[in-house]
Amino acid sequence: MRDKLFTVLTILAAAAFLGTAAHAATLKLGVAGPLTGDQAAFGEMLKNGATLAVEEWNAKGGVKVGKKKMKVDILWGDDRHDPREGVSIAHKFVNSGAAGIVGHFNSSVSIPASTVYAEAGVVQITPASTNPKLTEQGFSTVFRVCGRDDQQGEVAANYIVDKLKLKRIAILHDKTTYGQGLADETKRFLEKRGVKPVFYSGVVQGDKDYTPVLTAAKQKNPELVYFGGIHPEAILLVKQMRERLGMKAHFMSGDGIVTDEYYKIAGKSAEGTYITFTPDQTKLAAAQNVIKNHRKRFGKEVGAYTIYSYVATNMILSAIQATGSTNGSKLSAHLRSKPWNTSLGKLQFNKKGDVLESPYVLWQVKGSKFVEIK
Amino acid sequence: MFAQQLVNGLVVGAVYALIALGYTLVYGILQLINFAHGEIYMIGAYVGIAVLAVLGTMGLTQTSLALSIVLVFLIPMIYCAAYGITLERVAYRPLRNAPRLSPLISAIGMSLFLQNYVQVVQGARDKAFPNLLELGSFQLFGAYVNGLQIFILVLALGLMAALQLFIKKTKLGKAMRATAQDRTMASLVGVNVNRVIAVTFAIGSVLAAVAGVMVGMYYGIVNHHIGFVAGMKAFTAAVLGGIGNVTGAFLGGFLLALLESFWAGYVSAVYKDVFAFMVLVVVLIFRPEGILGGSGGEADRT
Repeated sequence: MRDKLFTVLTILAAAAFLGTAAHAATLKLGVAGPLTGDQAAFGEMLKNGATLAVEEWNAKGGVKVGKKKMKVDILWGDDRHDPREGVSIAHKFVNSGAAGIVGHFNSSVSIPASTVYAEAGVVQITPASTNPKLTEQGFSTVFRVCGRDDQQGEVAANYIVDKLKLKRIAILHDKTTYGQGLADETKRFLEKRGVKPVFYSGVVQGDKDYTPVLTAAKQKNPELVYFGGIHPEAILLVKQMRERLGMKAHFMSGDGIVTDEYYKIAGKSAEGTYITFTPDQTKLAAAQNVIKNHRKRFGKEVGAYTIYSYVATNMILSAIQATGSTNGSKLSAHLRSKPWNTSLGKLQFNKKGDVLESPYVLWQVKGSKFVEIK
Repeated sequence: MFAQQLVNGLVVGAVYALIALGYTLVYGILQLINFAHGEIYMIGAYVGIAVLAVLGTMGLTQTSLALSIVLVFLIPMIYCAAYGITLERVAYRPLRNAPRLSPLISAIGMSLFLQNYVQVVQGARDKAFPNLLELGSFQLFGAYVNGLQIFILVLALGLMAALQLFIKKTKLGKAMRATAQDRTMASLVGVNVNRVIAVTFAIGSVLAAVAGVMVGMYYGIVNHHIGFVAGMKAFTAAVLGGIGNVTGAFLGGFLLALLESFWAGYVSAVYKDVFAFMVLVVVLIFRPEGILGGSGGEADRT
């Protein structure tokens, strides 16, 4: 009798397990970036873009893997733009069986995390990490839908030399993989064009007072200050240049400062800032649907990286549906196999995982708005 | 460049000095490093933003600038004083007779708690501190000087003078000095030690609140973790000047900021913070009691 009871209990327990297993048959997608902290503005773009894409898939019943439709479940990872945090999130994602990763945001986090994903054979598409090294490591699982800093640096350098016709350039960076990488690329292309920067220095990320280093830069009478870094530091730099030191030099930076917070907090000082970024997405015909749905869902306009995150999420989920598999090498092969029609227009990956064409253009802050320079 | 770096350093020094006073006052009386002090400064900045937001919607910032400036400092001062007193009551008073390590751990715990509390309530993002004082700038010995910088310096020096007067001339100040010298003896001659300690925390917090609002005005940006670095720097400044010594803390604040400013300007901006803490290490090796010497010695006997 006791034995029988035990058998029944075992069967019941097993059934219960089966029940939960069947219930939990969701497709897990890891989404990671700086969801909190001083770069949370970017985290929110990532979050909203991925949420929008996943909700659309789930509304249609989910992703079809083989014969079964599976709902998508997002695993969130808040790396707070800290590389160590990013790696531990990567391990967590891999251990929880994530089928693909959208992220991370910052190059300094994406690069170490990509090693973890590559080892586990999990596909990773970053919407924003632009440091060349990310796709130069030779991992087949790494992709990015944004451009690269060597492209961005070249556009910046050419604009300074050809259009602005400036010779005295000061270069600052925040010592991160992204910031210093971008600053160094810009410096390299400037030197190629015969312009040797008059000042070059790193600054401490998270510091509040940059007047000492700006004072040193001011001694060299720069006509333009170029900054490789993210908006929290860019805001302080441009404010202190204008308000504390009365510097009239132009200010130029890259795609790391494209958030409303930049001109909202820096105010008047931000006016006239030059930025290298991709052409205005909101004018793309393909993007109109996302923009409309985003407004409806979140009650606000898309940010610089919202559509990139949306596209990256969609690509992973479509690849899973098309191959009927979550196997990393199958997915990467599929992602590389064809041009994709996305909300950012046609995108195709090369062997490294970079998009074939990614034209950077110049933007400027005008009247508390980012405006593309025609 | 020298004059400009001097100006840069003096303004930061004023902030360090005001926060350092809070560390040194508490240390002088309790031999306790109040590591939650940096958070009080951060809370001061946040309250400043809230006050400005309210004044802004009332339209007071347009109609009466002077009153707005007074309120934007006064309300955070009151608020932070309450925080300081509560902090002492909750986290330190119950541990008054515990081993010295216990209140230290309690302080670190309070620091973490306050930081996370503000993050939860106010969000993790940077907050803009609205522009209240639009002051002009002028050139002085080749340095570009802003009216706000002068305002900050004058305010800090004024508060320092007021604090010295308070400690030297008032009855409560005398009680503070007595408590610092010997807590048991002071209580025996009728000093209400608990009250003196509460007042000390309140004064330190008031100064931190002023520093917080100043920093908000000066940089225009505030977040929940500004208290940590500022607290470390101010603590360094207090040790540099001689912890427990009021004039020393003030001097240490300016000295540290000037060293940082010149180092970043002439040598390397990359290792600015490293240099600040290197100075601390060197001072601790060669002059452990700080430049002006601490004042905690006698009280150590209790």
